[in-house]
Amino acid sequence: MSTRDNRDRLVLMQGTLDVLILRTLIFGPQHGQGIARAIQQTSDDELLVDHGALYPALQRLEVQGWISAKWGTSANNRKARFYTVTKAGRAQLAKQSNRWRRLVAAMSRVLGPEPEQG
Amino acid sequence: MRLPWRRRESDFSAEVDAHIAHETDRLIADGMTPADAHAAARKAFGNVAAANERFYEANRWLWLDQFVGDLRYGARTLGQRPAFLATTVLTLAVALSLVTVAFTIFNAYVLRPFAVQDPGSLYRIGWRAPDSGGQEFRWRDFEDVRDQQSGVFSAVIGEHMRLVSSGGQSLSVAFVSDNYFPALAPRLLAGRGLGPMDANARAAVLSHQAWSRMFAADPSALGREIELDGRRFTVVGILAPQFTGLDEYPREVWVPYSAYAEIRPTAAGSEPPRDVEIVVRLRDGIPQPRAEGTLRPWAARMADLTKAPADLRAILLPNATANAVSMELLAVLSPVFAAFVLVLATACANVSNVMLARAVARHREIAVRLSLGATRARVVRQLLTEGLLIAVLAGAVGLAFAAWLLRAGVVALFSTLPPSLAALIRVVPLSFDYRVFLFALAVAAATTLVFALVPALQASRQRLTDALHGQRSGTRGAARLRSALVVAQVAVSLVLVVTALTLARNFTWLGALDLGYQTAGVHSINVRGEQTELVGRLTDVLAADSRIAEIAVTGGNPMFIRRRNVAVRAGSDRGQTGVKPGSNQGQAPPAVPARYTFVSPAYFSILRIPLIDGRLFTSDEARSAAPVAVVSEATARAFWPGGNAVGQTIAIERPDGRQQVDELPGYGDVTVVGVAADVASGFIVDGKDPNHIYLPVHARHPQASALLIRPRAASELRGGALQEIFRRTGLDPETFEAVPLDEMRQTQVYPLRAAAWIGGLLGAIALVLSISGLYGVLSYTLSQRTREIGIRMALGATTGAVVSLVMRQSVRLAGFGAVVGVTITFAALKFLSSLVRLKEVSLLNVAPFAAALVLVLGATALAAFHPARRATRVDPAETLRAEA
Repeated sequence: MSTRDNRDRLVLMQGTLDVLILRTLIFGPQHGQGIARAIQQTSDDELLVDHGALYPALQRLEVQGWISAKWGTSANNRKARFYTVTKAGRAQLAKQSNRWRRLVAAMSRVLGPEPEQG
Repeated sequence: MRLPWRRRESDFSAEVDAHIAHETDRLIADGMTPADAHAAARKAFGNVAAANERFYEANRWLWLDQFVGDLRYGARTLGQRPAFLATTVLTLAVALSLVTVAFTIFNAYVLRPFAVQDPGSLYRIGWRAPDSGGQEFRWRDFEDVRDQQSGVFSAVIGEHMRLVSSGGQSLSVAFVSDNYFPALAPRLLAGRGLGPMDANARAAVLSHQAWSRMFAADPSALGREIELDGRRFTVVGILAPQFTGLDEYPREVWVPYSAYAEIRPTAAGSEPPRDVEIVVRLRDGIPQPRAEGTLRPWAARMADLTKAPADLRAILLPNATANAVSMELLAVLSPVFAAFVLVLATACANVSNVMLARAVARHREIAVRLSLGATRARVVRQLLTEGLLIAVLAGAVGLAFAAWLLRAGVVALFSTLPPSLAALIRVVPLSFDYRVFLFALAVAAATTLVFALVPALQASRQRLTDALHGQRSGTRGAARLRSALVVAQVAVSLVLVVTALTLARNFTWLGALDLGYQTAGVHSINVRGEQTELVGRLTDVLAADSRIAEIAVTGGNPMFIRRRNVAVRAGSDRGQTGVKPGSNQGQAPPAVPARYTFVSPAYFSILRIPLIDGRLFTSDEARSAAPVAVVSEATARAFWPGGNAVGQTIAIERPDGRQQVDELPGYGDVTVVGVAADVASGFIVDGKDPNHIYLPVHARHPQASALLIRPRAASELRGGALQEIFRRTGLDPETFEAVPLDEMRQTQVYPLRAAAWIGGLLGAIALVLSISGLYGVLSYTLSQRTREIGIRMALGATTGAVVSLVMRQSVRLAGFGAVVGVTITFAALKFLSSLVRLKEVSLLNVAPFAAALVLVLGATALAAFHPARRATRVDPAETLRAEA
């Protein structure tokens, strides 16, 4: 495990996992564990992906038709279920990213500049 | 439950396992020992079982899974209680079958499109004039439309339907244009339809029914011959059972129209009769009004010719089904449907009642389910599923019942109809199609909501702590509900019983009504297809037969309803007796609508109508169709009150006041020669004619259209004697329609009789249902109150007091129901009698109300008898011991 303790990491907010999964899959097919690891890595270990919550989320996205899944073999020669983002998934990602960016920007404006640390 | 397109739980588990394996690999790579890495990976994943659970619940087919589970559970629970299952299913099945029968008949006559190609584009041409209308044309008119209107119609079909004798039986035969089969393309079981190649050929297509009856459904019938009025026709095709013709009267044989020329009994040279029906197929995209517009010149051409009204116009009537759905039709049928639905509602109330009682028994089970975390919605859904199971079973049993009832009903119809009419009636195939199945399913589902929802809501509303302790809270509401259901049932059965008794009373009243003439022994003979010129020919033959004692010729026989009203005005040229008191001198007295009938002098004697004043027609007057009249007593009284009618004159006008009637040239001034007693010559329900004038006629007169005969002895015309006499005219005996007047009378009241029987059946079923409902409620409360009764008896209550305890409850429920039922019936019949004004029918009569009340209250007392007796058998010692 990485050097940071889980307690320091940010727990994902409701609804953010879906868009992160879609974003991660833009770079190509990936299996569940790979997605979790990729999210953690790209967020510089800031985000903690609850592995138990990841799979129901993947299932939900699959039912919605935003991702598709296929069993395959991973780099370390194990069986894994690989997910690919669909066309509808890409559109959804574009919509969601935009929303999140606006939300973040708005939040920052309200919260103001970071206070000086004494 | 597994569906092929659904992801399996095992697949999900495999994925979770793969995840943990990958994570372990990574942790080992990070430097952990394999054992630690695996534990850490498991820990990071969290609860695998919970993830599986979440996967399961995220599945969109969850409801189906639960539904299947509910079904399985429901089937098991119901299976454990076969008595409960049988009672509820049978109760509902009886009611559902009745509703299904009603719908099947409605479907066959109104909803089901004809089994032909594109029935929706078929229209029938009709003609309308200000005071008449019809759907019959001459063959020439048909050819006219066919040849000139191909722009709007893609097909124009002509058909003449008539009964033709075939080996002593009558067959309904369609004489059709050569494009009938190609244009309609009905399904054939064997052989081929008729076509242009059959012109002048003696080829015939049989209906499925006729094939089954005449050839016992033998496939070798193809190529064999059938006889139609002595001529032999070769069977070239057999139709599938679905198609029986383009209206509600099924045809049995189809032959080329050219064959009609051979059978047609018209005398050479006379004007061809209007007896062809025209059905057209409208071209795509052509609106009906436009098509009607293009027919205008055609209608005008027809109007130029003789015997057609001047201002005649053509209309198109939708002909996709036997009867089009219209508001009027639905308005007429809605009380009938209401009666059937009421019975269904009573059955639902009964089942609901049983389920409420059962919910009490299942109290504990439901409480356990609720405390284990089932939501209330989930419990209600489970109970509704059980209800649906019962309803669907009942629907299936109901369909089987309905099939049997329909067969029995048709048999009953033919065995109760007067025989001469039963021979004329043809019933369309009353088969189940997808509409009937859908209807049965929809009604079953709807009844589930009605009978199962309330008990389910009731059962799932409980306080867990009380329930688990075995206390029954909230049953007070259920008890009130059950009482309300019984009250409603008693009310409904009262409505139905009163209605049935009212119908029965009117039926017997009309049966015994004095018509003013004797029907016994008199036969009415009509000429089919308006070929009235044949009356004279038949009269000669009849007169030559020694078995016939009396013959009268008429312009329309009594009880055969024809539209023949004129306005009659008392002549003003003969002094003051023609002027009514109070009216201004010199002004013409008002015209009064009156029925008129052309009759030969023998008419009054053959029907034994007494002459009140003056004389009857002489044979000279009859021969010359002299302008003389016999008027009815009521007419004489109305025109010349207190005075002498004989010798006065009357003027006959069209009802709208124009002088003279087209069909009655030369009857502007008619001298009254006699006064005859009043008779009821139209619908019996209308009672005696308010006004009636008789005009003289002889057999060769164009107005003579029917005959009345009286044989020397009734036995003389048994069997086929009359047919044999008809044959002596040289015509097909089926040209004439002979009906004993007695049977005509029965026919007129037959609808009332049938309605009384059906109403009685419905009422009886509703009554039985409400009695069993009442019985259930009383037994249940009794079982709840055994302890109380025991204590009462121990404290010295007499048997009488205990009985009255039970009886009081019964009387309260039945009494309340009776009050509601009587009020509703009274209001409904009052409303109905304001709509239906029939002189000899009284809808608001005390006797049916009183009889129904006695019947219903007596029955409820009977229902209370057994529970009351059981109450008296309560052993005080036993109950007190149980108490301690």
